[in-house]
Amino acid sequence: MPKKKHSFELKSKISELDTLCHEMEKFGRSLGLSKKCIFEINLALDELFTNIISYGFADEKEHSIKITITPQNDMLCLCIEDDGLPFNPVDVEEPDLKRTIEDCKIGGLGIHLIKNLMDEVCYERCGRINKLTLKKNITATDCG
Amino acid sequence: MEISRKEEGGIAYVTIKGRLDADNASQAEKTVNSVLEGNADRILFDLGALDYLSSAGLRVLLGAAKEMKRRDGKIVLCSLTEFVKEIFEVSGFEALIPIADSVDSGVKFLS
Repeated sequence: MPKKKHSFELKSKISELDTLCHEMEKFGRSLGLSKKCIFEINLALDELFTNIISYGFADEKEHSIKITITPQNDMLCLCIEDDGLPFNPVDVEEPDLKRTIEDCKIGGLGIHLIKNLMDEVCYERCGRINKLTLKKNITATDCG
Repeated sequence: MEISRKEEGGIAYVTIKGRLDADNASQAEKTVNSVLEGNADRILFDLGALDYLSSAGLRVLLGAAKEMKRRDGKIVLCSLTEFVKEIFEVSGFEALIPIADSVDSGVKFLS
Protein backbone atom coordinates (compact mmCIF):
# COMPACT_ATOMS: atom_id res chain seq x y z
CA MET A 1 0.00 0.00 0.00
CA PRO A 2 1.46 3.42 -0.94
CA LYS A 3 2.08 5.42 2.24
CA LYS A 4 2.32 8.78 0.53
CA LYS A 5 -0.36 11.29 1.12
CA HIS A 6 -2.43 12.63 -1.70
CA SER A 7 -3.86 16.13 -1.79
CA PHE A 8 -5.89 18.20 -4.22
CA GLU A 9 -7.90 21.38 -4.27
CA LEU A 10 -11.46 21.93 -5.45
CA LYS A 11 -13.06 25.21 -6.45
CA SER A 12 -16.20 26.30 -4.60
CA LYS A 13 -18.66 25.19 -7.25
CA ILE A 14 -20.91 22.16 -7.17
CA SER A 15 -19.71 20.82 -10.55
CA GLU A 16 -16.42 20.00 -8.76
CA LEU A 17 -18.20 16.93 -7.29
CA ASP A 18 -17.12 15.14 -10.46
CA THR A 19 -13.45 15.99 -9.86
CA LEU A 20 -13.81 14.87 -6.23
CA CYS A 21 -15.25 11.52 -7.31
CA HIS A 22 -12.54 10.91 -9.93
CA GLU A 23 -9.69 11.87 -7.59
CA MET A 24 -11.02 9.63 -4.81
CA GLU A 25 -11.64 6.67 -7.10
CA LYS A 26 -8.17 6.92 -8.63
CA PHE A 27 -6.48 7.14 -5.23
CA GLY A 28 -8.72 4.47 -3.70
CA ARG A 29 -7.87 2.04 -6.50
CA SER A 30 -4.14 2.75 -6.11
CA LEU A 31 -4.50 1.70 -2.45
CA GLY A 32 -6.43 -1.43 -3.46
CA LEU A 33 -9.57 -0.38 -1.53
CA SER A 34 -12.83 -2.24 -2.16
CA LYS A 35 -15.54 -0.60 -4.27
CA LYS A 36 -17.74 -0.38 -1.18
CA CYS A 37 -15.03 1.40 0.75
CA ILE A 38 -14.39 3.87 -2.09
CA PHE A 39 -18.15 4.47 -2.36
CA GLU A 40 -18.49 5.23 1.37
CA ILE A 41 -15.52 7.61 1.40
CA ASN A 42 -16.78 9.29 -1.76
CA LEU A 43 -20.21 9.79 -0.26
CA ALA A 44 -18.84 11.25 3.00
CA LEU A 45 -16.65 13.71 1.09
CA ASP A 46 -19.52 14.54 -1.29
CA GLU A 47 -21.90 15.35 1.60
CA LEU A 48 -19.31 17.49 3.30
CA PHE A 49 -18.27 19.33 0.12
CA THR A 50 -21.93 19.95 -0.85
CA ASN A 51 -22.56 21.34 2.64
CA ILE A 52 -19.58 23.69 2.41
CA ILE A 53 -20.68 24.98 -1.01
CA SER A 54 -24.32 25.36 0.05
CA TYR A 55 -23.85 27.09 3.41
CA GLY A 56 -20.17 27.86 3.92
CA PHE A 57 -19.56 31.10 2.07
CA ALA A 58 -21.15 34.48 2.70
CA ASP A 59 -19.70 36.07 -0.47
CA GLU A 60 -19.79 35.27 -4.17
CA LYS A 61 -16.01 34.92 -4.51
CA GLU A 62 -14.39 31.71 -5.61
CA HIS A 63 -12.83 29.77 -2.74
CA SER A 64 -10.66 26.68 -2.58
CA ILE A 65 -11.42 23.56 -0.60
CA LYS A 66 -8.37 21.47 0.14
CA ILE A 67 -8.58 17.71 0.58
CA THR A 68 -5.68 15.67 1.91
CA ILE A 69 -5.82 11.90 2.12
CA THR A 70 -3.22 10.13 4.23
CA PRO A 71 -2.95 6.37 4.75
CA GLN A 72 -2.10 5.67 8.43
CA ASN A 73 -1.66 1.95 9.15
CA ASP A 74 -5.22 0.52 9.23
CA MET A 75 -6.86 3.87 8.75
CA LEU A 76 -7.35 6.33 5.96
CA CYS A 77 -7.26 9.89 7.21
CA LEU A 78 -9.21 12.46 5.18
CA CYS A 79 -8.70 16.10 5.96
CA ILE A 80 -10.97 18.78 4.47
CA GLU A 81 -10.07 22.46 4.87
CA ASP A 82 -12.11 25.48 3.84
CA ASP A 83 -12.04 29.20 4.65
CA GLY A 84 -15.82 29.50 5.01
CA LEU A 85 -17.99 30.43 7.98
CA PRO A 86 -17.24 28.45 11.15
CA PHE A 87 -19.22 25.21 11.04
CA ASN A 88 -18.83 22.19 13.26
CA PRO A 89 -20.75 19.21 11.78
CA VAL A 90 -19.94 17.12 14.88
CA ASP A 91 -22.41 19.29 16.85
CA VAL A 92 -25.28 18.85 14.36
CA GLU A 93 -28.23 17.12 16.01
CA GLU A 94 -28.95 13.62 14.74
CA PRO A 95 -32.13 13.43 12.66
CA ASP A 96 -35.00 11.40 14.11
CA LEU A 97 -35.00 8.27 12.00
CA LYS A 98 -38.16 6.86 13.60
CA ARG A 99 -40.43 9.24 11.79
CA THR A 100 -43.28 9.08 9.34
CA ILE A 101 -43.09 10.12 5.74
CA GLU A 102 -45.15 13.27 6.45
CA ASP A 103 -42.82 14.75 9.05
CA CYS A 104 -39.57 13.40 7.63
CA LYS A 105 -37.12 16.20 6.87
CA ILE A 106 -33.92 15.85 4.93
CA GLY A 107 -31.97 18.42 7.00
CA GLY A 108 -29.00 16.93 8.82
CA LEU A 109 -29.16 13.72 6.84
CA GLY A 110 -25.88 14.37 5.00
CA ILE A 111 -24.06 14.82 8.32
CA HIS A 112 -25.78 11.70 9.69
CA LEU A 113 -24.46 9.72 6.70
CA ILE A 114 -20.92 11.06 7.26
CA LYS A 115 -20.97 10.07 10.96
CA ASN A 116 -22.28 6.61 10.15
CA LEU A 117 -19.95 5.83 7.26
CA MET A 118 -16.79 7.08 8.97
CA ASP A 119 -15.13 5.76 12.13
CA GLU A 120 -14.02 9.12 13.48
CA VAL A 121 -15.09 12.70 12.78
CA CYS A 122 -13.13 15.53 14.35
CA TYR A 123 -13.54 19.30 13.89
CA GLU A 124 -11.10 22.13 14.56
CA ARG A 125 -11.30 25.82 13.77
CA CYS A 126 -7.75 26.97 12.98
CA GLY A 127 -7.78 30.75 12.57
CA ARG A 128 -10.01 31.37 9.54
CA ILE A 129 -10.03 27.74 8.47
CA ASN A 130 -12.53 24.95 9.16
CA LYS A 131 -10.56 21.73 9.42
CA LEU A 132 -12.52 18.51 9.47
CA THR A 133 -10.70 15.21 9.86
CA LEU A 134 -12.46 11.97 8.99
CA LYS A 135 -10.97 8.57 9.69
CA LYS A 136 -12.02 5.34 8.06
CA ASN A 137 -10.85 1.87 9.00
CA ILE A 138 -9.83 0.27 5.71
CA THR A 139 -8.96 -3.18 6.98
CA ALA A 140 -12.48 -4.33 7.87
CA THR A 141 -13.54 -7.20 5.60
CA ASP A 142 -15.84 -5.13 3.48
CA CYS A 143 -14.56 -1.84 4.80
CA GLY A 144 -18.03 -1.20 6.27
CA MET B 1 -27.09 11.03 -14.62
CA GLU B 2 -29.78 10.02 -17.07
CA ILE B 3 -33.45 10.21 -16.24
CA SER B 4 -36.39 9.10 -18.35
CA ARG B 5 -40.13 8.64 -17.87
CA LYS B 6 -42.97 6.74 -19.43
CA GLU B 7 -46.52 5.79 -18.55
CA GLU B 8 -47.95 2.34 -19.03
CA GLY B 9 -50.99 0.59 -17.60
CA GLY B 10 -51.79 3.47 -15.25
CA ILE B 11 -48.29 3.47 -13.74
CA ALA B 12 -45.78 6.30 -14.13
CA TYR B 13 -42.27 4.83 -14.56
CA VAL B 14 -39.19 6.93 -13.81
CA THR B 15 -35.78 5.44 -14.60
CA ILE B 16 -32.65 7.06 -13.12
CA LYS B 17 -29.16 5.90 -14.16
CA GLY B 18 -25.62 6.82 -13.18
CA ARG B 19 -24.85 9.29 -10.38
CA LEU B 20 -27.54 11.30 -8.62
CA ASP B 21 -25.88 14.01 -6.51
CA ALA B 22 -26.20 17.69 -5.61
CA ASP B 23 -24.88 18.67 -9.05
CA ASN B 24 -27.81 17.12 -10.93
CA ALA B 25 -30.56 16.64 -8.31
CA SER B 26 -32.44 19.73 -9.55
CA GLN B 27 -32.55 18.22 -13.06
CA ALA B 28 -33.97 14.98 -11.65
CA GLU B 29 -36.43 16.92 -9.50
CA LYS B 30 -37.71 18.75 -12.57
CA THR B 31 -38.53 15.48 -14.34
CA VAL B 32 -40.12 13.98 -11.21
CA ASN B 33 -42.21 17.14 -10.73
CA SER B 34 -43.41 16.95 -14.33
CA VAL B 35 -44.62 13.40 -13.61
CA LEU B 36 -46.33 14.59 -10.43
CA GLU B 37 -48.04 17.47 -12.24
CA GLY B 38 -50.27 14.90 -13.89
CA ASN B 39 -52.78 12.85 -11.96
CA ALA B 40 -50.42 9.91 -11.46
CA ASP B 41 -51.29 8.04 -8.31
CA ARG B 42 -48.93 5.12 -8.88
CA ILE B 43 -45.25 5.79 -9.50
CA LEU B 44 -42.43 3.30 -9.95
CA PHE B 45 -38.76 4.28 -9.81
CA ASP B 46 -36.42 1.91 -11.64
CA LEU B 47 -33.04 2.41 -9.92
CA GLY B 48 -31.36 -0.72 -11.30
CA ALA B 49 -28.63 1.31 -13.01
CA LEU B 50 -28.27 3.98 -10.34
CA ASP B 51 -24.66 3.61 -9.17
CA TYR B 52 -24.51 6.47 -6.72
CA LEU B 53 -26.93 8.49 -4.59
CA SER B 54 -26.28 11.26 -2.06
CA SER B 55 -28.67 12.99 0.34
CA ALA B 56 -29.48 15.50 -2.44
CA GLY B 57 -30.89 12.56 -4.44
CA LEU B 58 -32.69 11.15 -1.41
CA ARG B 59 -34.44 14.52 -1.12
CA VAL B 60 -35.88 14.12 -4.65
CA LEU B 61 -37.22 10.62 -3.87
CA LEU B 62 -38.59 11.78 -0.52
CA GLY B 63 -40.41 14.66 -2.26
CA ALA B 64 -42.13 12.19 -4.59
CA ALA B 65 -43.03 9.87 -1.67
CA LYS B 66 -44.52 12.74 0.32
CA GLU B 67 -46.62 13.86 -2.63
CA MET B 68 -47.88 10.30 -3.24
CA LYS B 69 -48.82 10.01 0.43
CA ARG B 70 -50.66 13.36 0.24
CA ARG B 71 -52.73 12.24 -2.74
CA ASP B 72 -53.23 8.78 -1.27
CA GLY B 73 -51.24 7.21 -4.08
CA LYS B 74 -48.55 4.52 -4.11
CA ILE B 75 -44.81 4.69 -4.77
CA VAL B 76 -42.18 1.96 -5.05
CA LEU B 77 -38.42 2.00 -5.64
CA CYS B 78 -37.14 -0.99 -7.62
CA SER B 79 -33.91 -2.91 -8.15
CA LEU B 80 -31.64 -0.91 -5.83
CA THR B 81 -27.94 -1.57 -6.36
CA GLU B 82 -25.89 -2.75 -3.36
CA PHE B 83 -24.46 0.66 -2.42
CA VAL B 84 -27.69 2.58 -2.97
CA LYS B 85 -29.46 0.04 -0.75
CA GLU B 86 -26.85 0.72 1.95
CA ILE B 87 -27.69 4.45 1.85
CA PHE B 88 -31.37 3.63 2.33
CA GLU B 89 -30.49 1.49 5.36
CA VAL B 90 -28.18 4.06 6.95
CA SER B 91 -30.60 6.94 6.35
CA GLY B 92 -33.60 5.02 7.68
CA PHE B 93 -35.46 5.61 4.42
CA GLU B 94 -36.00 1.88 3.86
CA ALA B 95 -38.68 2.05 6.57
CA LEU B 96 -40.38 5.01 4.92
CA ILE B 97 -40.50 4.25 1.21
CA PRO B 98 -41.47 0.81 -0.17
CA ILE B 99 -38.65 -1.02 -1.94
CA ALA B 100 -38.99 -3.95 -4.37
CA ASP B 101 -36.31 -6.35 -5.59
CA SER B 102 -37.31 -6.04 -9.23
CA VAL B 103 -39.49 -3.94 -11.53
CA ASP B 104 -41.89 -6.91 -11.83
CA SER B 105 -42.41 -7.17 -8.09
CA GLY B 106 -42.72 -3.37 -7.94
CA VAL B 107 -45.54 -3.51 -10.50
CA LYS B 108 -47.25 -6.24 -8.43
CA PHE B 109 -46.95 -4.07 -5.32
CA LEU B 110 -48.63 -1.17 -7.11
CA SER B 111 -51.40 -3.28 -8.65
